[in-house]
Amino acid sequence: MDERQLFAEVVMPHLDDALSLARWLTGSVTDAEDVVQEACVRAYAAIATARSNPRAWLLAIVRNTAFTWLAKNRPKSVVVTDDDAVFEKASLEMIDRSQEMTPEAVLIAKADSEQLKRAIAGLPLAYREALVLREIEGLSYQEISTVMSIPIGTVMSRLARARNLLIQRIGMAGKGKAGAA
Amino acid sequence: MNKPPAWTSREESLLLLNAYLDNELDAASVLDVERRIGADATLKAELGRLVELRNALATQVSKERASDAFRQRIAAIADVPKGSPAAAQRTRPSGRSFDWRQMAAAAALAAVLASAGTYVALQQTASTGEIAEIVAGHQRALLAAAPFDVASSDHHTVKPWFDGKLALSPQVVDLNDAGFPLAGGRVDVVDGKPVPAIVYKRRQHVISLIAVPHPGSTDGGEPLTHATRDGYFLLGWPGRDFHYTAVSDLAQPELEEFAARWRSAATR
Repeated sequence: MDERQLFAEVVMPHLDDALSLARWLTGSVTDAEDVVQEACVRAYAAIATARSNPRAWLLAIVRNTAFTWLAKNRPKSVVVTDDDAVFEKASLEMIDRSQEMTPEAVLIAKADSEQLKRAIAGLPLAYREALVLREIEGLSYQEISTVMSIPIGTVMSRLARARNLLIQRIGMAGKGKAGAA
Repeated sequence: MNKPPAWTSREESLLLLNAYLDNELDAASVLDVERRIGADATLKAELGRLVELRNALATQVSKERASDAFRQRIAAIADVPKGSPAAAQRTRPSGRSFDWRQMAAAAALAAVLASAGTYVALQQTASTGEIAEIVAGHQRALLAAAPFDVASSDHHTVKPWFDGKLALSPQVVDLNDAGFPLAGGRVDVVDGKPVPAIVYKRRQHVISLIAVPHPGSTDGGEPLTHATRDGYFLLGWPGRDFHYTAVSDLAQPELEEFAARWRSAATR
């Protein structure tokens, strides 16, 4: 099979996934298209190394390209990516409201699209990418571990923290709104 | 560290709760987590919040869709043969340059032309043409607003729908407990004939299970046949009066799990 054919089979079916990941890493669709285009050029150059899971392979390239892009265009946003000390502070917090009718659950259920997107965009990069790979791309822990080059245990804790933060923020935003009304 | 033991166990509970929600635990751990949830109202409330969050994300935050113009730009990357800058001048004909029919046709042609040992991805009973048609049907369904014509998580709805539509009754098994909820059914065309396609979901992934009639066929525990095409995995196996082919972009082990569970439920 020639490389052009391989590109059509390995890369083209996963463009929506690539674009979605890049959109959440860069923050905009326009920037995401630039990143994905660059990533696809890299993917084509390395097409012979495509593995048995082409989607995860492509997403890993998109991720790395996005980080290069971020380092150049948004230097402040990537500094803390792999700083585990920062994550340590964002400890998991479980509020004991078992006696109430879990008000957060109600607020989350009511959260609109814009509110959710703002909350995701506000997550630290390392949490955001784990969450997007899981909830929007639907990858398994094993695949996320491959794409992000981190152990599965770290995938687990980043996902748990990402969701924990989202729940807290949506809960707070909802309460703020209710108080103002 | 100096964390009180209760805190450590709480954090561990939360990690396990997330993995439980994500269907990433083995059976023993599932039991353990369910026991913890049953005994701990706080955990139960947390699970409720996580489920709401997941539902909200699934319904409110959708995937990006690459525009046709963008697809063409990306497809054009491969139009430039490597190490041959002169060829960069070549441009694609105008109009839609990325088209599943062209892709499927090109793939079929490439498979025919490929000399022995260049690329072996197919070892299946379904013909190459059928594979291309099955993948094309799956891709077309993914591009549509919904990957099915009848939406139902109830196999008692989907099976009669096929019967009424095609006078064919493939087995429609319920795999919800195994994490593969039924999403619905649609009609695909394979080898010129309309055939049932049963649609299952796995997280955000869609699995199309195409049932091609083979009267008299039974599941004798034959090994799965494997194929890949356009980045999708296909697994095939014989069943009662039908040959089944599952196609999805799921990773191979998960699709194999689906096939194994489906066959075991169908022959029960």
